[in-house]
Amino acid sequence: MDYFVSVLVPMIGGLGVTLSVFAITLIASIPLGFAFTLMARSRIGVVKGFAEVYIYILRGTPLLLQLLFVYFGLPLIPGIGAALTFDRFPAACIAFGLNYAAYFAEIFRGGLLAIDKGQYEAAKVLGLTKGQTMLRVVIPQMIRVCLPSVTNETITLLKDTALVTVIGVSEVLHYAKAAVNRDANTFAFLVAAGVYLVVNFVITLIFKKLEQKYNF
Amino acid sequence: MNQIIQVSNLNKSFGDNHVLRDISFEVDRGDVVAIIGSSGSGKSTLLRCLIDLEKADGGTVCMEDKALFKDGQYGSPAEIRAIIAKMGMVFQHFNLFPNLSVRKNLELAPKVVRKEDPRTIGERCEKYLGKVGLLDKIDAMPGTLSGGEKQRVAIARALMMNPDILLFDEPTSALDPELTGEVLTVMQELAEEHMTMVVVTHEMGFARSAANKILFMDGGIILEEGSPEDIFVHPKNERTRTFLQSITRKE
Repeated sequence: MDYFVSVLVPMIGGLGVTLSVFAITLIASIPLGFAFTLMARSRIGVVKGFAEVYIYILRGTPLLLQLLFVYFGLPLIPGIGAALTFDRFPAACIAFGLNYAAYFAEIFRGGLLAIDKGQYEAAKVLGLTKGQTMLRVVIPQMIRVCLPSVTNETITLLKDTALVTVIGVSEVLHYAKAAVNRDANTFAFLVAAGVYLVVNFVITLIFKKLEQKYNF
Repeated sequence: MNQIIQVSNLNKSFGDNHVLRDISFEVDRGDVVAIIGSSGSGKSTLLRCLIDLEKADGGTVCMEDKALFKDGQYGSPAEIRAIIAKMGMVFQHFNLFPNLSVRKNLELAPKVVRKEDPRTIGERCEKYLGKVGLLDKIDAMPGTLSGGEKQRVAIARALMMNPDILLFDEPTSALDPELTGEVLTVMQELAEEHMTMVVVTHEMGFARSAANKILFMDGGIILEEGSPEDIFVHPKNERTRTFLQSITRKE
């Protein structure tokens, strides 16, 4: 029991970092992802093309690679490298935010495809502008369609935060590995697994409530 | 000024498919016009061109002397909006907003488009829901309503904007016969109150009893036009006769 507590306490400290990366990524990537969804639907070729290429690259390469690139690669770009040099934690948030925006963009795109053309027509004949139609009619319905996928992606995000340890950000897994190496005892990995499971339990509960709210 | 809609030489193609060929007709204030004809004859496309859900390729449509398009040329988006704001539309598949309650479906457009006083909106909402017999469903979500109830809500929603003319695109085609009756009753009442209506329908009984003008469409043209008596009792065209025979045989 004493050993359990001695392993857990530093991990709780690391959990703060894990949850920070998690929360910042979620808050940044959902609106950014929706912006990419709209851009990918744009009638302006350049805008549409940019969004599609962005999504292709960010989904097509490993997140781990992107993380290393943001932290180690960007500062090496001649000329602008100095402006693109980030500390470990901001670098982690930037890489995660950009990556998850691409995934959310695709989830939202699917959600918009599920909305009947008749909804747009009804809004149009009632005189609603495109913006009013989006806000009042389309987005609420899109959220309902997307929620299960967003839940899935959010759970994946929590687990993916373990990757930031490779650029030296001290989160849950970092302390677990430290304890395992120090004590030659893998018990700390079990504790780390428990920590992730507890947080994901809470996330799942929150999304269940949201799904009930959007169950019209 | 008695004329409310004037259509002349309206043309529309989808690719190589010439759906509407030189359509011309008029709708007077208080008219109930029924557009009948077999599937694919262009009825729905014609109706959708009147309210800018389809873009016409050529011809002219005027609404109360203002052109929605003239010789195939459309006005500015603001002009188009101003014209279609005077029209209401009821769809085959209702197209209620499933995320909003019945009340909010009715109140959305007056609130966000016209920015009317909430109290007058609320009063009108209750008035029109009462008119279609669904005041008790005011707080229901659309998903909990039957098809007939959804369509009556959709009619009330269209009335909320006080349109000068109501367009109906096969309003009962998605309903079973039992529910069809309750929707037709509401439409019949509107007709008796001299609401101007253009109704694309397969309900010959309704066309005969409620309409004062029938357009029979076939192959993208108006083949025959006249009073219910002209069309149903003394059809001039052989094609009209065979169409009506096939319909009555089915009924």
